[in-house]
Amino acid sequence: MSLLELKDVSKVYGELHALEKANLKVDKGEWIAIMGPSGSGKSTMMNIIGCMDRPSSGQVIFDGRDITKESRKKLTEFHRDKIGLVFQQFHLINYLNAVENVMVAQYYHSMPDEKEALEALERVGLKDRARHLPSQLSGGEQQRVCIARALINSPELILADEPTGNLDEANENIVLDIFRQLHKEGTSLIVVTHDPEVGEVAQRIVRLDHGKIISDKKNESFSEGE
Amino acid sequence: MFFRMIRGTFLRQWKKLLMIALTVALGASIATAMLNVMLDVGDKINEELKTYGSNITVVPQSEAVMNKLYDVENDEAVTEYIAEEKLGELLTIFWANNITDFAPVTDTTVTLNGGDEVTLVGSWFDHHLEFTKKGTTYQRDTGIINLRSWWDVTSGKMLDEQKQSGDGYAMVGSELAAQHNISAGDKITVKGEKGSEQLVVTGIYESGDDEDKYIYTTLSAAQRLTGSTGYFKKAEVSAITSPDDELAVRAAKDPSLLSGDEYDLWYCTAYVSSICFQIQEAIPEANASAVRQIADSEGKILEKTELLMTLISIMSLIGATLGISNLVTSGVMERSQELALLKAVGATNGQITRLVLTEILSAAIVGAAAGFFMGYAFAQIIGRTVFDSAVEMSGMVAFIVAVLIIAVTLFGSIPAVRMLLRLRPSEVLHGGH
Repeated sequence: MSLLELKDVSKVYGELHALEKANLKVDKGEWIAIMGPSGSGKSTMMNIIGCMDRPSSGQVIFDGRDITKESRKKLTEFHRDKIGLVFQQFHLINYLNAVENVMVAQYYHSMPDEKEALEALERVGLKDRARHLPSQLSGGEQQRVCIARALINSPELILADEPTGNLDEANENIVLDIFRQLHKEGTSLIVVTHDPEVGEVAQRIVRLDHGKIISDKKNESFSEGE
Repeated sequence: MFFRMIRGTFLRQWKKLLMIALTVALGASIATAMLNVMLDVGDKINEELKTYGSNITVVPQSEAVMNKLYDVENDEAVTEYIAEEKLGELLTIFWANNITDFAPVTDTTVTLNGGDEVTLVGSWFDHHLEFTKKGTTYQRDTGIINLRSWWDVTSGKMLDEQKQSGDGYAMVGSELAAQHNISAGDKITVKGEKGSEQLVVTGIYESGDDEDKYIYTTLSAAQRLTGSTGYFKKAEVSAITSPDDELAVRAAKDPSLLSGDEYDLWYCTAYVSSICFQIQEAIPEANASAVRQIADSEGKILEKTELLMTLISIMSLIGATLGISNLVTSGVMERSQELALLKAVGATNGQITRLVLTEILSAAIVGAAAGFFMGYAFAQIIGRTVFDSAVEMSGMVAFIVAVLIIAVTLFGSIPAVRMLLRLRPSEVLHGGH
């Protein structure tokens, strides 16, 4: 069953065609890696899927709903309910501790609940670091807090932009293990990356170049247990 | 969560918020000082001008008619009088408490020590007046001691009616004393049209005007010399008044032309014309009129002072608005990633605007409170330095300053809020395409 569908989606910035007639279907529970070199349109596609930008033309159907026609407020509500974002630079609020950073997403979604926030941190193996400020956490730990924040409102889709871009190999593996676990639990994942190692662990790999989807293939080496 | 975030901002951006508080404090202090002084300046200027003498003159009706017809004053041909006992009526009028001093005056020409003719003025010095009307007794110590506050007693002392028994005393102007070699303690003989008096000179005064050639004595002595016992020629009245406005100008021409409401407003406001009107109601045979130079000066000084203070307040508030605008905008720019993140996790523009405005308004409230008390202190310094008296704190000023500061803070935050609304998480959090 299709969770997300991009139909002829284009995004133009002046003379620059950042995305050209992109067509993509994402099924529920699917794990997709969007890959490509810098400037290929990966972040543009992520921004459009994440409701942070609107396409210049085309349609984005999310859960059967054409979100390109929604008002800004509705789009914010939709994105808040359906999508969890993971960033390359983590973007944690530096004066709030780990659990409070997770609770921020709860606060703007519904009601902050510290118990639930601690459970989310436990899922990423950080319950004992819950009271630490971002400056007291390693890069990998910060990214795990970021993942916990993305998970806290039980989104239908986790959208991760270069989630391991700032991490060493050990932390990269920890983050990918968390993604595997989320995938097993049925969460849909779209991971934007230019790192082949991160792309290779996904179920399906979509390659972009100069704003166009140049390939969309199942990853034959994908393994649930990996 | 909201307050945790506010607290976090206060801990992290305390320098910026302190600067906002200081900017607001500066604007609030100047506005508070100026508004407090503005509200009090009318009374202060009034008090200041009271030291320059009376601002109302009371003369007999017939003399007033003659003065109006022939545009003359002190016409010797007109010798109408008002009964001295009637003067107590001034203590019974609606604005009695605004009348600070008054004194009856009878002037005449006398022969001094059998030689030159000089002007002698009889009046109350520090007279204790008791007046009973409808079973109520009114009391007041009044006289020209306060109405001639600028007199400089160069030798001897001021005539003290309450301590010096009898009324055979006089004060002599410095010019006249020099001409006739008169010193304090000397005895002089004055001869008027109805008799002569021997007076002891208690002091020599310097007035700086024509009164330096006069002899001032008690009213009763002057009455005996003129044969007008129990009467006086005119009275000088010093009253605290409100500056004239359009209503007062119309009322001064003819109060009967005012509508009922206008009349009540005019009657119950301490305009010099309404006080004059009430004096005439109390003493029907008298005509009370304003000494225009003083009333007009008061209005003009007040108008210009208030204009200057309003301009200073406006300039300081504009300065505060620009300062706040700069600080808040740079604060939002510094926090663009954090604010974009909040949008990315689902915060609406309204929620983020509320968060930022709460932080700014909290800092502004702290600054406004500090500024209010600083402004009150400035007002006291201005009051002490310029008017030699304290400036009263007005509750209305606190309200006005609070409203102004909220308006200034919100207005100053507009550029930052617009920037915040335009902030796109896709650009701030991801960068390129």
